[in-house]
Amino acid sequence: MNGLMLVARREITTQIRTKGFVIGLLITALLVAAVSFAPKIFGGPTSYTLGTVNSQQLPLQAAAPDAEVTWRSFPDENAAKKAVLAGDVDAVLVNGTKVISDGEIDSQLGVLLQSVNKESRLGAAGVSIPLLRMESVGADTRYEAARAGIAVVLVLLLFMLLMSQVVMVAMGVVEEKGSRIVEILLSTVRPWQLLGGKIVGLGVLGLINLATIAVVGLLGAVASGLAADFPPGIPGLLAGVLVWFVLGYAFFATLSAALASLVSRQEEVNTVLTPLTMLLMVTYFVAFYATSEPTGTLATVLSYVPPFSSMIMPIRMAAVEVPLWQVGVSMAAMVVAVLVVLSFGATVYQRAVLRTGARLKLGDVLRTR
Amino acid sequence: MLEISELRKRFAGGPDTPNGKVALDGIGFSVRPGEMFGFVGANGAGKTTTMRIVMGVLQADSGSVTWQGKPLGYDERQRFGYMPEERGLYQKMRVAEQIEYFGRLHGLGPAEAKKATDDLLERLGLTERRGDAVQALSLGNQQRVQLAVALVHDPEVLILDEPFSGLDPIAVDALATALQERCRGGVPVIFSSHQLELVERLCDSVGIVSAGRMVATGTVADLRAAESNSLRVVVRNPAPGWADGLPGTVTVAGDRHTLRTDDGDDQEILRRAMKAGHVEHFGIEQPTLTEIFKEAVA
Repeated sequence: MNGLMLVARREITTQIRTKGFVIGLLITALLVAAVSFAPKIFGGPTSYTLGTVNSQQLPLQAAAPDAEVTWRSFPDENAAKKAVLAGDVDAVLVNGTKVISDGEIDSQLGVLLQSVNKESRLGAAGVSIPLLRMESVGADTRYEAARAGIAVVLVLLLFMLLMSQVVMVAMGVVEEKGSRIVEILLSTVRPWQLLGGKIVGLGVLGLINLATIAVVGLLGAVASGLAADFPPGIPGLLAGVLVWFVLGYAFFATLSAALASLVSRQEEVNTVLTPLTMLLMVTYFVAFYATSEPTGTLATVLSYVPPFSSMIMPIRMAAVEVPLWQVGVSMAAMVVAVLVVLSFGATVYQRAVLRTGARLKLGDVLRTR
Repeated sequence: MLEISELRKRFAGGPDTPNGKVALDGIGFSVRPGEMFGFVGANGAGKTTTMRIVMGVLQADSGSVTWQGKPLGYDERQRFGYMPEERGLYQKMRVAEQIEYFGRLHGLGPAEAKKATDDLLERLGLTERRGDAVQALSLGNQQRVQLAVALVHDPEVLILDEPFSGLDPIAVDALATALQERCRGGVPVIFSSHQLELVERLCDSVGIVSAGRMVATGTVADLRAAESNSLRVVVRNPAPGWADGLPGTVTVAGDRHTLRTDDGDDQEILRRAMKAGHVEHFGIEQPTLTEIFKEAVA
């Protein structure tokens, strides 16, 4: 265990000091902060500037409490037209009978004006209509949009983190194999310690990335007021994502190390990793599809199948409420898959990592010992 | 005592070798504490494979390696120092950190590793370069770092595969001195080399390996004694036909006639030579290690 920890510590300390890591982390933090402030900057509450010509102002505030409405009055229709065309006002109510605008009116504003106008006329005539009460008898869908948004961000995040860490594991393995330093290393530590230490070390770096994103994102969301729209259970979701990242990373990183041990040169890393990156891409695409249809058959079935489950289950967890037993079953299956991959990967790595030179075939490595 | 006995290793694969290539065919030898053992043999004879098996980097098909009577395991090997034929260092890691890291991997504590690193850097003249990345160092200095990596934990046994290859004469002397120091401290040192004069000069004993077998082992003196020593006589301006009837062969270079022979009465030969001309040289020739080697692997 001591050997494994030493190897892991070296991975962390050497990587964390590189410019690439520091700059990457800073850029990630900035991006996340920007994203969490974006709704405030671009979205904001809707505001309208409206005008009147020979009309009364409509009581819009009651019907649309979120909207900011500014009223201006114009002496005649010509002055109002000019103001509309100049873009000073969004629309002008003329003589209480028509609304003029530059081009077709904003549909929300149109509906709003229409219905408020009706209501106030009816009210003036003494007719009062009670508002319809809306009630859902199905699942709580109040947070559907927020949940879907979080799911999309999650899938992208998991994919990018897995991809970058998995490639780093492969590069590290080839660095040691290509420079033959692995021969000295293997005379002092066992192959599983070397492999495990590398995977653990680079995994910790991935977690540092993930933690940075989570902390900056949450702080940003609180500061921008976006957090108010968050569904309940965010801390639980974050914990789940962490566990799924660890499982997915263990699966893909081990395979990556095993494949990388077949080659001796950095230039060959991409080629030898192709099957793995394809698998990761497919997982990503399926997971991305699942964000739009989190209750569909595909998403439901694949959320139990490793390694797809490592990305799809967190998506389902974010998008809808998943019963705990389902999460448990899916995690158990993934843990089994990780154990299988670990024993397979360690075998390949151990047999291949000292055989430098031309690229080895996986089949040959598995047959001979 | 480090004992290597009856190691066999067959590598699978190879298109022209359906049953694989035999790398080691029952090789065996032993090295005492404080003994410097030179391991010589043609390329592909099995030197590197043997050393890799001793270091646990490869598994033998059969045979055993024992240190102080016990089979070697990871714990024992942690106290060995190893320099593989293919040198390897983390190019982007700093010199001192790299040496310390290997010290830790060999089981030193943090403070011990640091102290050992500082001492070694000082002795190898690398103190000023301690904070540099290895890739910024000259090849010679990288070799020194490589040596430091093998020595940092004050190893009980040193196994070095071609440690002298690619070194300039000054670096060769420096490395030789470092190895002799360790040897005097009671460490068995095994190194392989193609520089046979160097092996002859440094080593207490020599093993000649050929096609995965040990064809000769012993001290250089023992190996010489096993060879038939030849007599060499050099005569200047001898009378023509002076060597007629004497055994051996005569070569002529200018006015110098050289007679080499493995048998015959040396006193009789000397008398004949003195009668024929001016005897410049008369002596028993000891074969060089190169000659012994060529003879052994032939």
